[in-house]
Amino acid sequence: MTDRMLDVASEVAGTVLEISAAPGAVLAEGDQIMVLESMKMEIPVLAETAGRLAEVLAAEGDPVAEGQVLARIAA
Amino acid sequence: MSAPDLKPAPAARPAGFGTERPSMRELLAALEADRAAMRDEARPAAVARQRDRAEHTARERIAMLVDPGSFREFGELAREAGEPAGEKPGDGVVAGAAKVEGRPVNVVAQDFTVMGGSSGEIGSRKMQQALRRSVREGAPLALLLDGGGHRIQIGQNSRRYAPSTGLFQDLARLSGWAPMCAAMLGAGFAAPTNFSGLADLVTMVRGQSFMGLAGPALVKAGTGEDIDAQTLGGAEAQVDRNGIADLGCADEAEAIGALRRFLGYLPTNAGQPAPVREAPPEDPARDEALLDLVPSNTRRAYDMRKVVNLIADPDSVFELKPTYARNVLTSFARIRGRPVGIVANQPMSMGGMLTGPACDKAARFVSMCDAFGLPLVYLIDVPGFSIGSAAEKGQLGRRSAKLIQELGHATVPRVSVVLRKGYGLGYVAMAGGRSFEADAAYAWPTAEICAMSIEGAVQVVNARKLAAAEDPDAMRAGLIAAMRAEVTPFGGAEGFGLDDIIDPRKTRACIAETLERAPARRDIGMPPKFRAITPI
Repeated sequence: MTDRMLDVASEVAGTVLEISAAPGAVLAEGDQIMVLESMKMEIPVLAETAGRLAEVLAAEGDPVAEGQVLARIAA
Repeated sequence: MSAPDLKPAPAARPAGFGTERPSMRELLAALEADRAAMRDEARPAAVARQRDRAEHTARERIAMLVDPGSFREFGELAREAGEPAGEKPGDGVVAGAAKVEGRPVNVVAQDFTVMGGSSGEIGSRKMQQALRRSVREGAPLALLLDGGGHRIQIGQNSRRYAPSTGLFQDLARLSGWAPMCAAMLGAGFAAPTNFSGLADLVTMVRGQSFMGLAGPALVKAGTGEDIDAQTLGGAEAQVDRNGIADLGCADEAEAIGALRRFLGYLPTNAGQPAPVREAPPEDPARDEALLDLVPSNTRRAYDMRKVVNLIADPDSVFELKPTYARNVLTSFARIRGRPVGIVANQPMSMGGMLTGPACDKAARFVSMCDAFGLPLVYLIDVPGFSIGSAAEKGQLGRRSAKLIQELGHATVPRVSVVLRKGYGLGYVAMAGGRSFEADAAYAWPTAEICAMSIEGAVQVVNARKLAAAEDPDAMRAGLIAAMRAEVTPFGGAEGFGLDDIIDPRKTRACIAETLERAPARRDIGMPPKFRAITPI
C-alpha cells in the first residue's frame, strides 16, 4: 500500500525560527517539526498524524504565508 | 447477495368483520405479527445492505445509545396508507422514549434501509412527536441521523409541501430548554443537516458520515461543481475545517457514546440542576504538576490542554470541537464532581490569539453552558484578537462581539484565571478582571495584563524615537523591559482589579471553593428588554 501524503500547512504568517526534524524522521502524532515566529511568539508546527517526515519545504529564516505547505508527512 | 426479505403472510391480520369476531388472543397475535415484520430480524436483505455501507441498523444504534430495556417505541406500526407491514417499516423513522443513565430522553433514528432514510409524511410526524414530547417533558432529544432529504416522490407537490411542518419551530423552541444532540452516522446531506443545525452537539464518523445542505448530485446539477461526498461534507470538512459538527469519531460506537457522555454533564432541562457526581479524592501531585507547565517567557508555547486536565477532576474533561479553531479550547469537565464549562486559550495554536472561528466556537459554548446552568471557568493566556486584512474580511469586529454578547447575558457563576497574557479586548472577552463581574478574578504570578502586546505598544508609541536612535534594538529592549515591569499582576492586585495572585497549585481549590459558594444563577440587572440582538 502506498503511503498517504499529508501536507503540513502554516496556520499563521511568520518566519521559520527553527527546523526541529529532518526528512526521514519518524514522527509520532504531536511531534514538533519546526517552530515559526509570528507576532513575537514561537508557534510550534506539529505532526497532526504519525508518519515519516517526507519533505521539509522551508528553511530557517524563511518568511512563510498563512496556509503555506511547510512539510509533507507520509502516513 | 442475500435473499430478498420475506413478506409477512397476508393471512397474519384477522379478517375482523366475519360472523365470528376474532378473539383478543387472535388480535394480539396479529398485532405481534405486524410488529415482528418491522424488526431487523424480518428484513435480512435490508440489514445486509445497511451493513455494506455502515456498521449498524437504526434499531441497533438506539440500543447503543440508551439504557438497556428502557426504549419505548412510538409509531412502530405507523406507515403510509396501503403499505403492507414490513415493506417500509416505520416510514423510515424509529422513534421513542428512553433513558440515558437513568434520565429521560427522546430518541429518533433514521432508517436508511427505507427509501434511503428520506423524510416521508409519517416519518416526519414521528420525528415531530419526539420533538414535541421533548419540549413538553423538558427531556433531551437525541437524533441518530442517516438519511436523505425530503422524499422527492412526495415533496415536489405544492398541495403537500405548502403547509410545511412545525418541526423547525419546535426545534427552535427546544434549543436551550433541553439538550439536543445528533450523531451523523452516514448520509447526512440536506434534512439531517437541517435537523442538526440547532443541535448542541453533532458527532460524525470519519470516512463514513457526511453532511451539508446539499449532496454532490444536487451540487453538480445546481452549480456544476464536481465534488465527491467526503470532500464536500466528510468529517475533515465539516468537523475539522468548517466546525458545523463537533467531533469526528472513529466509529459508530464512539459517535453514539459521545452523545451519552455529553448528556452526562447536562441537566435534563434548563430548569433542573446539572448532575453532580461524587468528588474524587484530591491528588496533591496533580496540583504540583501545574507549577512547571507554563513558561514565564511569553514567547514560548505550551499545551493548555495539560492545564485544563490538571485543574479538572481526573478523566473528567470532554473537549468539544477539539479539531476546529484549535487556538481556543472549549471543554465540559467536572471540578469536585460538579460539571463546569472551561474556556481556555491554547498557546500551541496561533499563540492562542482569538480569531473569528475561535470566537464562534467559544461564544456558542458559553451560550450552551449558560443555557444549562454550567458555571464558566476561564483560563486566560491571550495575546489578543487576530489583526490584519484577513481578520477584517472575516468580520472579526462583529464576531468578537459575540463573546461579549454571550458573556454579557450569562447568569451562571464564572471564575477567571490569568495564567500569562491578558491583553486587550481578548482579556475582557475572556471575563478577565471585573469585566463581567466574575465571582472571583485570579492571576498567576506569571501574568501580564495590559491593553495590547508590549512589543507592539513600544513600537507604536516610540516609532520616531526608535527610527532616530543610534542603536534602535538596544533602545527597544530597554523600553520593552520598562513597560514589562508595569504589567505584572502585582499592580492588578494592588488596584483590586484582581481578587488575588495565586500559587498555580491552589488554582483548583480556589475555583472549586468559589463555585461551591456562588448561587446557581445571578440577577444580572437586565433592563426590561425582550431579547438580545446577535451581532452576527
